[in-house]
Amino acid sequence: MSRLRLIETTILILFGLLLAGATVNDVVRQTHTNQRLIDDLRTWRAYTGHDYHNLSIEQTLFGERSQREVVCGNTSPGPPKARVQLCLAIWGPVVGGRRVVHGGWYLPPSTEEDLRRHRYGCFGPASSGICPTAAEAAAEHGSPSSSRAGA
Amino acid sequence: MSRWAIGLVALLNLIVFAGPILISTDVFSYLAYARMGIVHGINPYTHGPVAIVGDPVFHYVGHNWLRVDTAYGPIYTLLSYPLGLLGLVGGLWGMKVYALLASTATLTLTWHVARRRGHDRVFALLAVGANPLYVIYGLGGAHNDLIMLALMMAAVAFTLSDRDAAAGAAVVVGALVKATVAVLLPFMILARRRPIRDRPAAVYGALAALFLCALAGFLAFGIHGIDVVSALNRDSAFVSTDSFPNELAHLFGKPGVFPIDHDLLKIALVLIILHLLWRTYRGYDWVAASGWALLAISVTSTWLLAWYILWPLPLAVVTRDRRLLLATLFVQALFLAHQTSPLFAPVS
Repeated sequence: MSRLRLIETTILILFGLLLAGATVNDVVRQTHTNQRLIDDLRTWRAYTGHDYHNLSIEQTLFGERSQREVVCGNTSPGPPKARVQLCLAIWGPVVGGRRVVHGGWYLPPSTEEDLRRHRYGCFGPASSGICPTAAEAAAEHGSPSSSRAGA
Repeated sequence: MSRWAIGLVALLNLIVFAGPILISTDVFSYLAYARMGIVHGINPYTHGPVAIVGDPVFHYVGHNWLRVDTAYGPIYTLLSYPLGLLGLVGGLWGMKVYALLASTATLTLTWHVARRRGHDRVFALLAVGANPLYVIYGLGGAHNDLIMLALMMAAVAFTLSDRDAAAGAAVVVGALVKATVAVLLPFMILARRRPIRDRPAAVYGALAALFLCALAGFLAFGIHGIDVVSALNRDSAFVSTDSFPNELAHLFGKPGVFPIDHDLLKIALVLIILHLLWRTYRGYDWVAASGWALLAISVTSTWLLAWYILWPLPLAVVTRDRRLLLATLFVQALFLAHQTSPLFAPVS
């Protein structure tokens, strides 16, 4: 039985090391992700000039592991998502605590979800392909998407 | 020394009892299910709390659980019904009283079992009663896992006084509070404590309790009230951020847990339990084997919450195999490190 116990203990230690490695890996990964999100929020605030704190972050729009985020926030003071929202697509290396804005779009007031059909006033290369075409926008709103740019 | 230990644990329990609900909103789900049944006449095994939108408790139920019917056993649901009549605040305090009573019973039984099995009862009391997961998550969240733990330790205590039928019944009643504890039963039956002709006592006790409790559950809630398997299947498909399978998936470069992983985990769990059953049949301590099984369930679960890692703890402190206690505390430490990691870089 002592031999069996030795085998069990060895397996337990190996499995414990695996779990410890997985936990450390996940903690480091999560900490890096959080640091990146902090930089994204700082970028949105610097870009818009608004020191708002109720911002939402979408991490999966450009792919689960792309490290490309979309940060959305109100363009004027008000409850979260109650005003016209400006969404910025942000990625790239951190320089001076900020990352690069590659484009963006607006969302109408009280839009809970950042869906393709809600986006308008799209700008920059990041918005290419993920904003509604003029025909789609016309079908949705009865006017071309560009007509509401800069709202 | 023992007075100091009892005093410390009692103080910790009372402080957390007097304070607000900590970390989890589950207690509001318990109350919502109770009020659905006793106040609104809605079966909590067929409807989620969304069925009582106008009820004051509805706004406190966790968003993810609004459309989910109860996964708890019929005995727990029946126990919770009287609290549903006390309103939101009264019901909440009732839940806290239940948790405190269950905690007291668990700790008293742990103390008693540790002494009977020749272990350091003060150490056993402190290892459970002063454990941060037990105090902050378990008692702080007024989780019904504490009721399950009390019944589990009652079952162990019954076997020590040769009342196997009562032990079997206690496990079944515990499983009809929260199903996980049912895993103790095969180990209890296989234990080589007495001649094989006496072993069926636990089976008879379990069957009698199962018949009575299932009848009560069926009369109160219909067939859904005793369909524990479908609730377990549903919950086992969930994935929580802090689960070890999710962390392992990330370690191996996967974005998360896939359906095939659920199947592999179930196979691994079955193999572990078969090995433990074989070991128990060969003379290994059935209490330790049960503890390992509960630890294996929590580690292989893709839906891991802090209070799930409490399950093996009272068993771990009353067994001679110290590996179980070390493994349980190690897993708890890893869980805490992972769950508190967002504090290292808070996003705001």
